[in-house]
Amino acid sequence: MNSPLNRRWWEPYLWLLPSMLLISVFVIFPIIIVFKLSFSEISKAGVIGGYIGFQNYKDAVNLPAFKTVMLNTFWWVVSVVGSSTLLGFIIALVFNQKFKGRKIARAILVFPWATSLVIQASVWNYIIKYEYGSLNSVLLNLGVIKQAINWRSSYQIEFIWECGVGIFVTVPFVAFCVLSGLQSIDESYYEAATVDGAGFWDKLFKITLPMVRPQLTVSTVLNIIYVFNSFPIVYTMTKGAPAHKTDTMITYLYMLSFYERKKGPATALSVIGFLILCACSGLYMITVMRKEEEQ
Amino acid sequence: MKKTLALLLALIMMFSLTAQTAFADEPITLDVIICQYGPNTNDWFLGKGMDGSNFVEKFEAANPDIKLNLEVVSWNDVHQVVDTRIANNNAPDILNIDTFSEFVPDGLLMPVKDYCPEDLFNDFFPAFIAESVIDDTVWAVPDLASARALFYNVDLLENAGVEVPTTWAELEDACQAIIDYYNGDVYPWGVDMTTDEGQACFAYYAWGNGGGFVDADGNWALNTPENVEAVKYVISLVNNGFTNPNPATETRYDLQDMFSAGKLAMLLTTNQLPTYVSDKGGEVKMATAGIPANEGKTGSSVGVMDRVMAFKDDSAPDQAKRNEAIGKFLKFFYDPENYVGWVSMEGFLPAVNSAVEALVASDPSFGAWLDVLGTCQFYPAAKAEWATVRQGVTTVEQEALIGGDIQAGLDALQAEVAG
Amino acid sequence: MNNPDVLKSNRRALILIVIGLALCLILLSMPLYSFSASVYTKKSPNTFVGDEKYQQVRAEVEAVAEDYRAKGHEAVIGEDVLERVNSKGKTTSLITFTISESFDRSPLSLIRPGFNASYVLGTMLALFALALVCAVLGSAGTLALEHHFLNKRASLLRGTAAVALLLALLLVPVFILMNNYSFSRQLGLYNAELLTEGKDALFAKMDLLLFDGAMGDQIGTALNGLTMEHSGLLWMLLPCLLVSVLAAVQLRYGSVQSSAAKAMLYFFVVIVCLVTLYPYYVMTVTAFRSNAETLDMYFLHLFPTKWIWSNLSDIIHRGVPRYLLNSLLVAGGATVLAMLCGIPAAYAMARMRFKGKKAFLGFVIMSQMFSPVVLLIGISQLMNTLHLNDSVLGLMLINAAFNQAFAVWLLRGTFVAISPEMEQAALIDGCGTFGALTRVLIPMAAPGIVTALIFVFINAWNEYTIATVLISTAANRPITVGITQFSSFNMIEWQYLFAASLVATIPVVILFMSIEKHLTSGLTSGGVKG
Repeated sequence: MNSPLNRRWWEPYLWLLPSMLLISVFVIFPIIIVFKLSFSEISKAGVIGGYIGFQNYKDAVNLPAFKTVMLNTFWWVVSVVGSSTLLGFIIALVFNQKFKGRKIARAILVFPWATSLVIQASVWNYIIKYEYGSLNSVLLNLGVIKQAINWRSSYQIEFIWECGVGIFVTVPFVAFCVLSGLQSIDESYYEAATVDGAGFWDKLFKITLPMVRPQLTVSTVLNIIYVFNSFPIVYTMTKGAPAHKTDTMITYLYMLSFYERKKGPATALSVIGFLILCACSGLYMITVMRKEEEQ
Repeated sequence: MKKTLALLLALIMMFSLTAQTAFADEPITLDVIICQYGPNTNDWFLGKGMDGSNFVEKFEAANPDIKLNLEVVSWNDVHQVVDTRIANNNAPDILNIDTFSEFVPDGLLMPVKDYCPEDLFNDFFPAFIAESVIDDTVWAVPDLASARALFYNVDLLENAGVEVPTTWAELEDACQAIIDYYNGDVYPWGVDMTTDEGQACFAYYAWGNGGGFVDADGNWALNTPENVEAVKYVISLVNNGFTNPNPATETRYDLQDMFSAGKLAMLLTTNQLPTYVSDKGGEVKMATAGIPANEGKTGSSVGVMDRVMAFKDDSAPDQAKRNEAIGKFLKFFYDPENYVGWVSMEGFLPAVNSAVEALVASDPSFGAWLDVLGTCQFYPAAKAEWATVRQGVTTVEQEALIGGDIQAGLDALQAEVAG
Repeated sequence: MNNPDVLKSNRRALILIVIGLALCLILLSMPLYSFSASVYTKKSPNTFVGDEKYQQVRAEVEAVAEDYRAKGHEAVIGEDVLERVNSKGKTTSLITFTISESFDRSPLSLIRPGFNASYVLGTMLALFALALVCAVLGSAGTLALEHHFLNKRASLLRGTAAVALLLALLLVPVFILMNNYSFSRQLGLYNAELLTEGKDALFAKMDLLLFDGAMGDQIGTALNGLTMEHSGLLWMLLPCLLVSVLAAVQLRYGSVQSSAAKAMLYFFVVIVCLVTLYPYYVMTVTAFRSNAETLDMYFLHLFPTKWIWSNLSDIIHRGVPRYLLNSLLVAGGATVLAMLCGIPAAYAMARMRFKGKKAFLGFVIMSQMFSPVVLLIGISQLMNTLHLNDSVLGLMLINAAFNQAFAVWLLRGTFVAISPEMEQAALIDGCGTFGALTRVLIPMAAPGIVTALIFVFINAWNEYTIATVLISTAANRPITVGITQFSSFNMIEWQYLFAASLVATIPVVILFMSIEKHLTSGLTSGGVKG
C-alpha cells in the first residue's frame, strides 16, 4: 500500500537479516539441541548417550507429580497473566491522567521491574517470614494486629503468595506497554467522541482498547511465555515444597534434573512445555491478528 | 545519533574482549570448582581472607608451573554449573561437592590413587575414606565434615522445669511442658523437612528407631516398619504443635536463627551452631546432648561430609603431569598451615589426622566433637540411587505433612530404587 | 448575586460540620476503653495442689494479695492448674496464680504527656477547633454567595477548614492503632525487658492512669497482664468526621463530586506507589542493619537502631563495583545490539509486503518459548565453539538475541500505529528508505522505542541463569551473579544482599528517569492511523 514501487523483492529480507541471524545463532541453535536431547539417553551426571525414541516422554508423563504440576502451572499462568494484565491496564489508564507528581509516580512504578526476580523473590520471602518478617513487624508496630500472623500456614496460601509476587513484578511491564500505546492516541478522538455524547465506557471500549490492542497483544503473549517459564519466585520461596504441591513446570523440571537426576524426563518435559506454549500463544496470536486485520 | 551508537558498541566490544581471559602459555592450568560454604569461602580462596592474601595467589607462588582457574560457586547453582559442563565435555579438573556416586557410572572420575600422594592418602580418617568407595575403588577424598547433635537452650529448659530428653516419649513431655510454660511463645523443637534437608530429618528419626536407609547387607530398606513409625513420630510432633510451624519451608538456617534469638528451645543441627550464632550476633547459653531415640533403641549421631574429586581429561597432553599437578593442589590444600584455617573458618570438622592437633589446640571443644564424629553414621552416598532416595524420603515426609500415606510412599520409593 | 438556595445549603453545611464535631467530642468522652490488669502472675512448674512447693508459692501469693488489699484494691486470687499425664504415666502439673482488676477509661482521659497516641488525639482536637473557627469566619457575611464569587480570604478560610477536617479524619485510625500499639505491644515489650529506655517514665504514667498512682513499685507486675479492649463505637468517629469533611468541601467548592473524583485518583496513585515501594523500604532498612538486627524476632524496630553505613563499604570491598560495571556493559551492549537489529526488522514488518511475514513473526515469538534454564546445555556448547565462554561479549550477544522478540514486536506495533504519510513525503523529497526511517519514523516512534529500549536493558540487567553457568571468572560476573555470594546456602547475609540489590536497582531507575520524558512526550500532531 505504501511501499515505493521500485523496491526489489529481496529488500525486505535484507532488513530482517540481522535480527534473523542473531536469533538463529543464539536461540534457535540451543533449541535444536534441546529437541535432540529429549530423544537421547542422558545419564545422571548429564553425559549424553544415544537415541532412545520416545522413552523420555513416556517417563515424563508417568511421573507421579505430573498432573499436580501441570495444574499448578495452569493456575499460575492464568492468575498471574490475567491479574497483571487487568491491573496493569487500569494503572496505565490512571497514570496517563495529568496529575501532580506523575513523573515521580511513574518512576516508582518502574522499581519492581528494575529489580531482578531473584532479589524480588528473596525480599518477599523475607517479608512474609512468620518469625521475623517485615509484614508482621510493620502491622504489629502500627497496632493493626496484636500478634504475629503465620502468613504461610498452608501450601495453598504459599502458592497464592507466589502468584502475588508474580503479579507484583509483572504489572509494571504491562502498565508501561499500555502506556506507550496510550500516549500515541490523539486527544482529538476523545474530543470528537465527547461531542458525540460518548460516555466513559464507550470511550474505553471504542477508542482506548482498540488503539492499545497491539501493545496489549505483545504484552499478553510475552507474559504468557515469561510467566510460564518463570523460575526464581517459586524456587526461592518454596522450592515446590511440600511434595511438589507448589511447583510449576519449570521449577519441577529443574528439581527433576538437578535433585532427582532424572535428566531425560526433565528435558522431555521442557519440550512438552514448549509445545503447549506454541499452541496457546499461537492460538492467541491468530485470533488477535485476524481482528487486527479486520479493522 | 547512529554514529555515536556504533562508536559506543565498538567501545563496549573492545572492553569485553579485554575482559575475556586470555589463554596464556602456562604449562598446566587446573579448573577448580569450590562450593561456597559460608560468607568467608570466597574471600579465603579469591579475596584477601587468607592472611591478607588468598589461596590461589599463595598456591601459584608456591607452584609457579601450575595455574589455578578457581571458581567459587553457590550451593544453589553448583549442580547446574557442573552438569552443564559435563554435558559439554568440559568438566572441571577438580571439584568440591557433596556427592560423587552419580559421576562414577559414566567413568568421569579418576581413582584417587592415580593422583593423591601416598602420605596424604594415609592421613585421611579411614572411616571417611570408606564412605567414598564404589567397587573397591576410592573415587573421592573428604574435604571436611560435620557432626550433628541435639542443641538446647539451657535457660529456656531450666525455667520451664524441663530435663533434657533422651527418648522420644521424654521429648514429647518436654515439648508439652515448654508449650505450657511459655504459652506457645517458644517453639520447643525444630524440624527441617525442606527440599534440601529432608534426608537429614529422615536419618535422625529412622536411625533413632533402629531403621535407616539400608539394611545390614547394605541394600535399600526404606519401607520397614521402623522407618514408617519414625516418620509418623516426627509428623505427630509437628501436628501436636511442638515444632516450628512451617517445617517444609523453614530451613535449618531459619531454625538456627530462631534458636539464636531464643525463640526455639531445642534443635538437631551441626557442630557449627556456636560459630553460626556468634557470627549472627546472638547470645544463647547452649549445650549439647545425644539425639533422642525411641524407647529401647540407641540413637546415632549423624555425620555429613563433603568431598573433593578429580575428573578425567583425555585431551590433556601429559596425563602424568596433570595428575601430579592435582596431587600438588591436594597437598597444598591439606597442608595443616592452610587446612586448619579453612576448617575452623566456618566451624567445620577436619578430615585428616595431621590437622587435629592444631585444631584441638585452638579450640578444646573440637576434641569432644571429634569423638562424636568417630561414632557417626553417614548417608549411603556411595550408592547409585542415593539422589533418588534423598529426594524420595523428603517427598514422603512433605506429603505426610499434608496428610499423605507414609507406608504407601515408602513402598513406592523402595520399589523404584530396589526393584 | 445573593442566592437563597446557596444560603440554605451553606447554612446546612455549617450545621453539619458542628454536629459532626459535637458527636466526635461526645464519643471521645465516653468510657470506650476497658482495661483488665492481672496485677500479679506467678507460674510454678512441677507443682501439685497441696504439696510443699504449692504451699510455699500459695503463701507467697497470699502475701502479695494482702499487700494489694492494704492499698484498698479488690484483689481476687485466681488459680489455674494444668495437669498432664506424661509418657511414663507420671502426672505433671503447672500452676498459674493470678490477681486481677478491671477499669474503664474514656479516650479523652488518655491525654497525658508521654503517651504517643495522646499527641495524635491532641492534634485532632486542635484541628477540630481550627476547622470550626475557619468555617465560621469564612462564612461570616458570605454565606449566601456562590463559591466562585468568594473573595480570597473567605475561600482560603473555608479551604483551611476542609483540609483541617480531612487531616483529622486521617488521624482517627492513627489514634486508634497507636493506642493498640502502646497498650498491648509496647507494654509487653517493656515487660519482657526487650525495650528498656524510658521504661520508668512510661510505667509511672500508666500507674497514674489506671491506679491513680497507687501501685508504686509494683506497677511492673501489675502491667504484666494488662489487656486493653476498645469498643467498636470508637470507629464511629470516622463517619461522624466524614460528614463534617463532606460538608466543609461543599462549603468551599459548592459541590462534592468533582473533588471526590480527584481525591479518588490521588488515593489510587498513592496506594499503588505505597505497595510498590514497600519491598524497597524493607530492602533499605535491612541494608543498614547490623547482622543481628536483620533477624528481628520480637519485631522491635521498624528502622535500624543504628544505621550501619559500613555495610556499603563492605559490599564495595567484596567486588560489587566490578560486577556493576560488567552488568552495565552487558545490558548496554545488548540493548544497542537488540535495537540495531530490531528496528530494521520491525520497519520491514510494518511497512513492507513480502512473503513469509507471519512466519517470521512466529519464528521470533517461538524463540522465546524455552526458559533459559532449559537451553543452558545448548548455549554453553555454542559458546564453547565460538570461544565466548566466560566473556562479557558472549552474555551481551545472548541477551540481545533473547530480547529480539520483544523489540521487534513492540516496535512493529508502534510503527504500524504511525501513519506512513510523512515518510512518503520524505521519500518524495528524495530521502532514501533509510533516511525516511531515521529522520521521520524513529523520532515519531520515540515512546515505543524508549519502551523497548528500557525493556531490553532491564531484562539484560536482570538476567541470571545463563550468566551463572557461562561466567566462571569472578571478575567477569554481572551483578546478579555477584550478589549470590551474600546469600550462600549456609548463611544469608540479608544486610549485604539487600544493600547490593539496592545498588543494582539504582542505575536502572536513573536510566528510566533520564529518558522518561520521551515516554511521556508522545506524538505531537496528527500522524495516527485510523
